[in-house]
Amino acid sequence: MTDPTRLDGKIAWITGSGRGMGRAHAELMAARGADIVVHDVLQEEAEATATAVRALGRRAIVFHDSVADPEAMRKLVAETRSKLGIIDILVNNAGIGQHLTTEEITPEMFQRMFDIHVKGSFFCAQAVVPGMLEQRSGRIINNSSNWGMVAAPVCAHYCAAKAAVLGLSKAWAKEFAPYNILVNAICPGGVMTEMPIRVQGMEKIRAKEKLVPLGRWAAPEEISYAVAFLAAETGAFITGQSISPNGGETIVGF
Amino acid sequence: MTSLAEKTALITGSGDGMGRAHALLMAERGANIVVADINADNAQRTAEMVRKLGRRAHVEQVDMADTAGVKAMVERSSAALGPIHILVNNAGFGQRALLHEVTEEDFDRMFAVHVRGSFFATQAVLPAMKAARQGKIINIASIWGMTGAPVASHYCGAKAALLGLTKAWAKEFAPWNIHVNAVSPGGVRSGGPKKLDNAEQLRLKEEKVPLKRYCEPIEMSYAVAFLASSEADFITGQNLSPNGGEVIVGI
Repeated sequence: MTDPTRLDGKIAWITGSGRGMGRAHAELMAARGADIVVHDVLQEEAEATATAVRALGRRAIVFHDSVADPEAMRKLVAETRSKLGIIDILVNNAGIGQHLTTEEITPEMFQRMFDIHVKGSFFCAQAVVPGMLEQRSGRIINNSSNWGMVAAPVCAHYCAAKAAVLGLSKAWAKEFAPYNILVNAICPGGVMTEMPIRVQGMEKIRAKEKLVPLGRWAAPEEISYAVAFLAAETGAFITGQSISPNGGETIVGF
Repeated sequence: MTSLAEKTALITGSGDGMGRAHALLMAERGANIVVADINADNAQRTAEMVRKLGRRAHVEQVDMADTAGVKAMVERSSAALGPIHILVNNAGFGQRALLHEVTEEDFDRMFAVHVRGSFFATQAVLPAMKAARQGKIINIASIWGMTGAPVASHYCGAKAALLGLTKAWAKEFAPWNIHVNAVSPGGVRSGGPKKLDNAEQLRLKEEKVPLKRYCEPIEMSYAVAFLASSEADFITGQNLSPNGGEVIVGI
């Protein structure tokens, strides 16, 4: 029996893969056989991820454009096609965090939050779907958040953008099911990456970990396992769903 | 893949169908299996298949409605294969009946097998899991537990109750690092649906699924085995529903 968790021969485009969860996704998926389109506005970080992917014996190409630039995303997909082939897996992972009250959020901050998470995910998907339609197969995994599920008393713009990502996931699951393109969301709880450490600080994070039933935040690769599970043959009957690795912090819905 | 090496998994209802598929996939990944089923012959056959994969198997004939029997089963199983690390509450059955058709016996049996059976199987494995400060409990619910259906309200209610147990247990057992999740299958090409629908009815139902098919039992096992592994150590209190896009709900 072939191992259904493998991704041999697949090409995965992971936005925001210069560091944090995106880097962890890239490394795990490369370890399982996928070639990786490393994509991050942070150039050095993206190069470091590509080096890690190549060290695992897989191919990597690197892009730095903003996900919120639809024309650049179309070019990225075309260039990937000529260099590596048709993209099989898109992980819409690029994101930003910002802990602010509603009164503090400027129009520019609001726009940037939605541009990166929602418009970015939308037009990355729009760019990648034609190739998936040609192949009659594809996987799109959108990175939402448990705050997209239950929200939080700060950063309403972030919570709403992550909720919108869940809306896109469900709609695309229905729109693309006839073409065997499966679309799901991941809703991470607390994850120990550079971003929250910078935004919130370690002291605050340690206090928050105590409020998680499992008593801790996740390592980035614990989110990657769920992403890779959905991306592989193991997720072949799963679409329109969300998996929330959150340590029991958020237990809602059905 | 040996992601479940050295683990012991007790899978109720693993004599055939999805339960057997779970047993074989988890054995392939390294687990020893307690094959529990009301049908002893079926359980023996699954056990033989597990042994062919090079793992140990222990057979238990049990009616999940028999609470004392469930407790005794866990005791014998632990004596045979060691403490249970993974419990899959999978035993179950379907019954199409409208509210006015359901007898008290039907109702009691439905809740006894699915809910009380899972409850007391979990109670029985819990001390060893708490002592080890680790454990994985996976409850097999159903999309009908999520959305209901125009027939079989007693089934829908029992499966929804399993989702309730899942969420409560996730919170209750988290301090011991015991993870509790549900898998809610959509349409599966297993013996259960074939008993309730003829081939033409099943074909029409598959057409209504966005992915235009029911899944093979092993596709459900992938979800169960993932949740049973250390790769899901940050996942608890969640419900994973492989359903081909038939049910897209909640947030």
